[in-house]
Amino acid sequence: MNKIIHLGRLLPLSPEMKLFELVDGYPQLLSIFSRLEISFPFGDISIEELCQREGRDAELFIMLCNMHLAPDYRPAEDSLRHEMLKDVVAYLRASHRYYTGYMLPHVANHLERVLEHCDSVSQRALRSFYDDYVRFLAAHFEEEERNIFATIDSIEEQADASFAMLEAPHGDIDDRTNDIASLVIKSLPERVPTPLRCSMLDHIYMLRDDLRRHSDLEMLLLRPLVAKYKKSLKR
Amino acid sequence: MKRFRVAIVEPSAIVAEGLESMLSRYAEYEIVYNVRSLSEYQSQRASDPDVVLLALQYAHEDVGQATKIGIQTAIADSDTLRQFQATVSIYSSADELAKILREALDSPADTNFSDSHELSERERDVLVLVAKGYTTKEIATELFISPHTVISHRKNIVHKTGIRSVAGLTVYAVLNKLIDSEQL
Repeated sequence: MNKIIHLGRLLPLSPEMKLFELVDGYPQLLSIFSRLEISFPFGDISIEELCQREGRDAELFIMLCNMHLAPDYRPAEDSLRHEMLKDVVAYLRASHRYYTGYMLPHVANHLERVLEHCDSVSQRALRSFYDDYVRFLAAHFEEEERNIFATIDSIEEQADASFAMLEAPHGDIDDRTNDIASLVIKSLPERVPTPLRCSMLDHIYMLRDDLRRHSDLEMLLLRPLVAKYKKSLKR
Repeated sequence: MKRFRVAIVEPSAIVAEGLESMLSRYAEYEIVYNVRSLSEYQSQRASDPDVVLLALQYAHEDVGQATKIGIQTAIADSDTLRQFQATVSIYSSADELAKILREALDSPADTNFSDSHELSERERDVLVLVAKGYTTKEIATELFISPHTVISHRKNIVHKTGIRSVAGLTVYAVLNKLIDSEQL
């Protein structure tokens, strides 16, 4: 039974839903397929059948979809099972790879096309700013993998481990991502063609929103699951 | 001890003198202007004070970078009150008055932004120094203004540019030719 509570608009996702309907109705979820390396074609199978085929938890898969679709979605406390923890960590790791291996280079490609219309001083300044941003994100991901995910990997041996970093706000990431958008909107020269500028903005906002969902996943899924897992170990 | 420069712009001499008398009990406040009209204030003003206590009739007037506090002498509508960061009542005690000013100065105006998204000359000066890596204190010393005023300028810069990080502001300064990248 689907125990998910929906806040805001209703998202009628269920294990019986056909995968095609899911993708067709919510194409923005394709990035999840990419992260989970779900192989196509999948014919006429349902979410539940896909999850059985891939050895995934269907309830967790639906939660991930809902969290990506609705920023105000909150998984119900009693729908979280501590067995989901390792899968959530695997998903977050896959997301890190997705950002560093796909999304950030993709935005960089757009940036290079935009920079062709800027003078050399602006090119240097913007390129250097973006490179710093990528390094900043990479360092953040590495720190999470080292201090949080690696600790979760061996949580059975260290039930009292601290996960203080999970409490750390991600405001810096959001600010820096917004800064790129502000520079593109307000300061790039007029001669940058509007379609190029808009396409770059599309990707920056997509990245920003995805990073926000990523942070929500850590706060609303990972954190309570860690607490549940630690509690289960102490029993 | 940091002293905040206060301007009082209030048509009623009784109210204005009362406010000055009450604030003079606190060493942290220095009354630099006490005038009966906004035009008088504008003609006398050589530099922005930290805070302006302003009659509600001037609610929609711009007082530059100073924290804008309304002097409520009568019932006012919410649109008028929204123009101020805080309001003081003619029934406020001296302690209440000092507390309201202190709280307003601790959290410089978020709602007191000018409608213009163009940076003022002073904001550009601050932005250039931020881009060069100066701290708030160093900028205050360089420009002969208070750190509070620098903070207020920085908030306005962030509001107008939409950019929060120092690195982003530096790029903004370069792209807008406010600074030569060689200077960085």
